[in-house]
Amino acid sequence: MIDYLWLIFRVLVFPGFTFILFLTMFCDWIERKIEARMQNRMGPSFTGPSGILQPLADFIKLLTKEEITPNESRKSIFRFAPFFAFSVLIFALCFLPIDGASVIPNVSFGGDLIFVMALISVANFLLFLSGWSSSNPYSSIGAARVLTQFLGYDIPLLMLALAPAFLAGSLTIATIVARQWIPFVVLAPWAFIFFIITMQAELEKDPFDIPHAESEVVAGYETEYSGGKLAFLKLARDVQIVFGASLVTVLFLGGTNGPAFFGLPELWSTLWFVLKVVAVIVISEYMTVLFARLRIDQIVRANWKFMLPLSVLSLLLTIGLAVWVYPMV
Amino acid sequence: MTSNNLDILKALEAKNFQIQIGKLGTAAIQAPVGKHRDALKILLDLDEKTAVTAITGIDLGASVGVYYHVRTSNSFVTIQCEVPKDKPTLATITDLVPGAAFHELEVTDLLGVVFEGHPNPGRLVLPDTWPEGVYPLRKDVKINEVKLNTPSSEDVKLSDGSGLVKIVIGPHHPALLEPEKFAVLVDGETVKKVEPRIGYVHRGVEKASESKTYLQDVYLVERICGICNSCHATAFVEAVEKILKTDVPPRAKYIRTIILELNRLHSHLLTLGHAGLEIGYETLFQYFWRDREPIMDLTEMITGNRVISSSLTVGGVRRDIKEADIPKIKATLTELRKKIPFYKQMYENEPSIRMRMQKVGVLAREDALKLCVVGPVARGSGVDIDVRKDEPYEAYGEIPFKEVVYTAGDTWARMNVRMDEVEESINIIEYALDHLPSGAYRVKVPRVVPPGEAVNRVEAPRGELFYYVKSNGTAFPERVKVRTPTFANIPAFLKTAIGESIADVPPNFVSLDPCFSCTDR
Repeated sequence: MIDYLWLIFRVLVFPGFTFILFLTMFCDWIERKIEARMQNRMGPSFTGPSGILQPLADFIKLLTKEEITPNESRKSIFRFAPFFAFSVLIFALCFLPIDGASVIPNVSFGGDLIFVMALISVANFLLFLSGWSSSNPYSSIGAARVLTQFLGYDIPLLMLALAPAFLAGSLTIATIVARQWIPFVVLAPWAFIFFIITMQAELEKDPFDIPHAESEVVAGYETEYSGGKLAFLKLARDVQIVFGASLVTVLFLGGTNGPAFFGLPELWSTLWFVLKVVAVIVISEYMTVLFARLRIDQIVRANWKFMLPLSVLSLLLTIGLAVWVYPMV
Repeated sequence: MTSNNLDILKALEAKNFQIQIGKLGTAAIQAPVGKHRDALKILLDLDEKTAVTAITGIDLGASVGVYYHVRTSNSFVTIQCEVPKDKPTLATITDLVPGAAFHELEVTDLLGVVFEGHPNPGRLVLPDTWPEGVYPLRKDVKINEVKLNTPSSEDVKLSDGSGLVKIVIGPHHPALLEPEKFAVLVDGETVKKVEPRIGYVHRGVEKASESKTYLQDVYLVERICGICNSCHATAFVEAVEKILKTDVPPRAKYIRTIILELNRLHSHLLTLGHAGLEIGYETLFQYFWRDREPIMDLTEMITGNRVISSSLTVGGVRRDIKEADIPKIKATLTELRKKIPFYKQMYENEPSIRMRMQKVGVLAREDALKLCVVGPVARGSGVDIDVRKDEPYEAYGEIPFKEVVYTAGDTWARMNVRMDEVEESINIIEYALDHLPSGAYRVKVPRVVPPGEAVNRVEAPRGELFYYVKSNGTAFPERVKVRTPTFANIPAFLKTAIGESIADVPPNFVSLDPCFSCTDR
């Protein structure tokens, strides 16, 4: 009985749903604050200390707004795509060791890295569906761009994610984290850099912010959404960003590894994990602020011409080092 | 191939055109119906930089006057035609000068002159609900009695079966801050056709100005555009001063120059930032707009108003610059000048800016000449026209400055023209402050203006701004014609957008620095 209660607590409160939700909103606040400060603005300032509650306030505000479903839309897909996207991403996060173990204990299995990577594709596809089902020209173009972009960048992303797997000698996330007594960013810095750039494209952030280019396609696939559905669509995107940062943390920065001093080691693990996620988000936000948005053809070309060969090279280099060089050291 | 004024006039005289030297620019040419094309051809053959600045339609009682205002490299001539009101037809000149298409449509809308052979006739500035056969600028039309038709409620078709998708940019769209519609037909992501529709906020300023006094009109024309308001005011008061033959005191000229350059400064900084927003570079936008703020404060300090300065009047300016303010102005400008190298290097070298702006919206020099574009758009395509140099007004004749010309003709070149002009504007203001003459800053002028007519050109931030004013001896003008730079530049966008990606539409369009409140006078 206690075991079941403990499982429910883990899934619903910590480190599961509620914790992830608040972590997402915290990261959203950090993103907005950094962006604002780099652009000579204040950013959120009034809701809570330094505006920390602003993302929550925005979410609640959107929930209270009127929801409009266009007559021409495919109603069931239009209604459920945001919730499915949100759930799939939360589910994917449950496989990552947030407080030392994955959210649902013993859920980890051999090759779950591949499974988690597949879940990102599913989530991206759901975002595409949400735009495609709106039957609005802006949404359709935005959705087509999501698809073009993630079809291109999924392959390099997977290739680059394999580098830590080779270094650890396992496709299991828990093992990859456990083997990182030296974080893999030190052993394979090139893979880390490429992975972050590809992740930026996968997460549709500047300079790869093409599906949302508001000067061209209004809000892309979000255009027809309003009220609660928009709230969940936006939340899904924020969770996606946290998920991307968590994946970088887990694969390259040693996940929850870090010195524990007093009290529960789980709390220290969580602290290290959150700090690393925030660090990744800061890096990605810097990129967002420093570049202009590229064009879809430029991005597709950059992907097939540079990112794909580079990821193959990076994989070969990592395999070479992992098999022949690092064992000797 | 350039020519001086004499060559042009001799060639025209040889073809038996009546010429009045000094009227409406360098000279006014009387052309009988059907001969206006011949006169234009002579000008086109003599000078490659010949372009139609504007076409003024005017109600002359029994007939409608159609005046073609033509600029060449160093002169400005007006070809005057008259067509009878009962059969107001003229041959089009769009085959000679493609850039005249919009001007002809406007005259058709407002005065009912039909241009035979126009490639795509249709409504341009009047709403679709405006009744047929009512031409608002004819004197016998009572605007209050015009009954609009009921709007038709036909559905907008997103696709016409040809496989092209119609993306409607505007009248409401995040990329447009003002209502104007461009229906962009795309095949995948490639633009195949752009259908413009302007006039959504047409306020009828030209008609309204006929029912207000000259002094009231200064404030009316200022409100045509919030950004280049002083340019509109200057263009209008100078035209009136030409009719009045008023000599403006030199101090007023310098103060006007300073206000005009402050206008240009804040307008260019606005566009340079706005372009950043259009290519998804929000940081650039925020930085530029932060540095634009002190310029707005300077405008407020000098004129008393932050945006619409309302500081110009017929015969001078309404406010003097205080001696105590000059160091403050200079300090602000020095502060801005320090930041220029950083921004310049940003626009010239930042890789993502170059990727989004270079080779986008390329307007070749020949096309720029044919389409009669003006201002930074022309100068970005290697056409060195700048009214401040070509026909110096106010104090520009006495102030040394560089005319910025880039030859690439793309969006990047147009933005860099503006970037360099920011620096030149600072130089001009500093020079004007150092050499500010003493004396009166305005002279008294009569309220009633003697009969006469005048044309006037001013280099607004967006390019050549043209005014035609005709007085009839009362306190109210007979006709005020305004041709704004954006109106002349839109054809360039329609041409360069074809064949490019839909993603290139916003940066290409914003590089014209479009101002729709100008376009819809």
